[in-house]
Amino acid sequence: MPVVSLPYKYLERLCGTDRKTIIEHLPMIGSDIERILDEQVDVEFFPSRVDLYSTEGVARAMRGFLGLETGEEIYPVTPSSISFSVDPNLIDIRPYIGSAVIRDISLDNEAIISLMGIQEALHWVVGRGRAKVAIGVHDLDKVTPPFRYYGALLTRTFVPLDYDREMNLSEIMEEHPKGRDYSHIVKDKPVMPLIEDANGNVLSFPPIINGELTRVTEASKNLLLDVTGTDERAVMTALKVLCTTLITAGGKCESVSINGVIMPDLSPETREVNVASCNKLLGTSLSAEEMADILQKMRYGAEKSGDNTVSVRIPCYRADIMHEWDVYEDVAIGAGFGSLNAELPETFAAGCEHPIMKRASVLRDICCGLGYLEVMPFTLSNEDVMYTRMQREPDPRVLRVLHPISEEQTLVRTDLLPLLLDLLRMNKRRELPQRIFHTGDVVLDMQTCQKLALASTHPGADFSEAYATTDALMRELGLVYLPQESTDPAFIPGRAADIIVNGKKAGVFGEIHPGVLNRFDIDQPVAGIELDLNIIFSP
Amino acid sequence: MQLTLNEKRLLLELVKVGTTTPEEIMATLDRPAESVVQYGGLLSQKDLATVERNVTTTLSLTEEGSRYFCEGLPERQLYQSFKDSSSIADLNKHPHAKIGLGWMKRLGWVKIESGNVIKTGDAAPSPLEVYLKSLDNAPADIKKELIKRGLATEEETVRYVISITEKGRKLAATGINLSEETGTLTADQISSGAWKDMTLRRYDINKHPRPVWPGKIHPYQRMIDEMRRILLDMGFTELHGSIIQGAFWNFDALFQPQDHPAREMQDTFHLAGKQDLPIGWEKVRDMHESGGDTSSSGWGGKWDPEKAKATVLRTHTTSLSIQHLAGHSKPPVKAFCIGRVYRREAIDPTHLPEFEQLEGIVMDDNVTFRNLLGFLKEFYIRMGFESVRFRPGYFPYTEPSVEPEVYIEELGWVELGGAGIFREEVTTPWGITCPVLAWGLGVSRVAMLRMGLTDLRQLYQSDIDWVRQMPTYGGRC
Repeated sequence: MPVVSLPYKYLERLCGTDRKTIIEHLPMIGSDIERILDEQVDVEFFPSRVDLYSTEGVARAMRGFLGLETGEEIYPVTPSSISFSVDPNLIDIRPYIGSAVIRDISLDNEAIISLMGIQEALHWVVGRGRAKVAIGVHDLDKVTPPFRYYGALLTRTFVPLDYDREMNLSEIMEEHPKGRDYSHIVKDKPVMPLIEDANGNVLSFPPIINGELTRVTEASKNLLLDVTGTDERAVMTALKVLCTTLITAGGKCESVSINGVIMPDLSPETREVNVASCNKLLGTSLSAEEMADILQKMRYGAEKSGDNTVSVRIPCYRADIMHEWDVYEDVAIGAGFGSLNAELPETFAAGCEHPIMKRASVLRDICCGLGYLEVMPFTLSNEDVMYTRMQREPDPRVLRVLHPISEEQTLVRTDLLPLLLDLLRMNKRRELPQRIFHTGDVVLDMQTCQKLALASTHPGADFSEAYATTDALMRELGLVYLPQESTDPAFIPGRAADIIVNGKKAGVFGEIHPGVLNRFDIDQPVAGIELDLNIIFSP
Repeated sequence: MQLTLNEKRLLLELVKVGTTTPEEIMATLDRPAESVVQYGGLLSQKDLATVERNVTTTLSLTEEGSRYFCEGLPERQLYQSFKDSSSIADLNKHPHAKIGLGWMKRLGWVKIESGNVIKTGDAAPSPLEVYLKSLDNAPADIKKELIKRGLATEEETVRYVISITEKGRKLAATGINLSEETGTLTADQISSGAWKDMTLRRYDINKHPRPVWPGKIHPYQRMIDEMRRILLDMGFTELHGSIIQGAFWNFDALFQPQDHPAREMQDTFHLAGKQDLPIGWEKVRDMHESGGDTSSSGWGGKWDPEKAKATVLRTHTTSLSIQHLAGHSKPPVKAFCIGRVYRREAIDPTHLPEFEQLEGIVMDDNVTFRNLLGFLKEFYIRMGFESVRFRPGYFPYTEPSVEPEVYIEELGWVELGGAGIFREEVTTPWGITCPVLAWGLGVSRVAMLRMGLTDLRQLYQSDIDWVRQMPTYGGRC
């Protein structure tokens, strides 16, 4: 989740209350306080609430939550003559564009930082790293409408932001820092998305970089927004969040015509919500009036529209409201989670342990009784530990991870004994004897199965110890087994046996081969046992 | 008062002689002098005797000193090697010329005139010569000189004097039993009754025993078992399932949008192969695209069945919960699972690519959000966290969502898991008509808090000493 920095001075001015009150209530409107600094507080908001990714948005929510100003904010949009044409060549590249004009805004440094912050957050959360949505904010007075959004050739040149020379689109993609970060989104497309004005001045090369010409400064008074992308709903969400934020910051919104469509539409969506079903879900007994009051605190427009219904106007920036329950959640937040009494239901049910877990508990009891200490190694391992060091061929049933994050975790374990040996290596300086065991999941042929392994190391650890321990284990499990001379290369020839249960090989025990001990860098003899629980307990 | 046999024997000897030294008495007691000192020390701790420690220093000749004791000091030997005078050149041929000439001059035995050494008189013995023959009588400055010239060394001698006290005499007067003590009791001695006439040696309880390390359940597993026990006690059925899941159950069935970054290769371990979609998958598609027949708008856009067929290592045990619900759509359902989950993260002290997650679900006709808070509170209190509070949370598959926090001394409010009511978009495709309360918890995070760990790896790559030292009983049952 992106971290939003809220400078106290700006926040206090917009909220109309002191920082102490604000910080105290921040977690209760749904945020994680990252750190409290001298000049600002850094918070994380949930990805669903993009409208809170600016100081203006937080202030709007906070004023409502604290009851300083409730109900919906009205966002008037007046018409303008500004228009865009959209090139049909972009239909398979980046077909959607949203735009609006913000007039008479005075941006101080803090407002500009806030604007850049929400842009970044929208790029990340809604825009999926600019692939789905990218945003440009321009100084409108530097360019001349109408604008056109079209597919340009790579040889087209302009001065990109933070540069003082003309570059062509190829150069920007290769050399500009933003080009290197985002060129993968449009690379290999036949034409590049570009926005220019009536005089051929470039405003933006979405989703990569704006032109230096329209850079927004504290002197900028009138802004043009461009939001481009591959998903119309996401484009409109980002546009609405931006417009409402800038209106809250003091701007006036004017519409723009895109291929004849007038936008932005900042009107709320109306829903009739059911009071009884809200109460049923939350376990509350609110009246329609109370529910409407709470929703007003959450900055909805809300009035009782019947004994059992509230008419709710959902602000256009609340893209997260998809379902009635999303409104109910805001009722719970607005009422305060602390005011909802936690209460256990009367649902009756008898507890029941899972048979595999029950079996694991029994195995633990037996192993502990035999003097073994439990360990809990990772389930992800690698070829080297699992097979090479064990002098074994890789198990053909092994499951490999497609894109490992390191050489340490390239596959899901098929055996447990190698992991016990690896733990003995890590503990070689600890007091002997060491007797350890583990029981848990392995994956064989895409099936999650269970195994048990034990290892004992000390100067006298040998085949006899492994045999005696296996014998005790099988006796405690009430199982009949047959030892059969084993050729497992992890063990010393003539000092290992396969465990045969019901005619099937269910495991192996014996004295670990010194070659294996060398590979694991273990200095003392090791007696080891491994059992496949799915085989020994198969009917 | 408890005395060992040796202490008793020493005390009885002291009664006879009053005061003695270890050297005098060692033969009688048949013990080395050091042992006698030790017994005396034990008696003195009980005020039965006093042990006086006297340190004396004695001077003795070094090897070089001994040689000169017989042959005379170098200056004397040199003096006697010539008559009244000699040239320096001749004198230099003598083995002691270098050291002897200087001393002869300093002692005034000779003077040097135009390259010749001339005797001045009869060379009276110097103090060094005198005291070399009787070291014990040497004054302090001569001793220092002898040590400086390497002719003698100083040695410290510690002598002990042991005397009986009045208390010791009184105790001895009451009579002391000196019969032999027995160490190991044999079967014969037990059955024959011989033990009745034997004194069994007492052990020193102040001596620490050799450590014995029992076999035991790992502290982390013990905590997991405690959580399992709590949930079983609260009437939950335990789930267990495959760690390999289709993206359908891991993400899509939980209303995770298909372009959510958590689904990508960067965050989730992808595996080769495709998983078949279950019967009824179309309803999940409709939910994503348009909200199906609920009041939801869905995410919009196209839902791609191929994406849902991808195979992953489960990123949460919620994939098991939803499959359990899909198979048990009628109330009531109370189920939980504690299992390993996987995230594609590099290993560091607080991040691991695999860790345990706990998850509980409750489905019933009239359960509410308040009931969810009730379950959370009950569970955390049973886990030993006394203060629990709730704040808003967000998860794609729950609404309302909540993040429980517990209060921990020195840390303040700590977020411990997430919870909520499964969205209708999640439950409706499976014909579930009543609310499903759900909560999840990072088990390893609780372990860190409970065991005071700073590095999560300790749980999975344990130092055996840490496991050995960690008490089995953590203060609660």
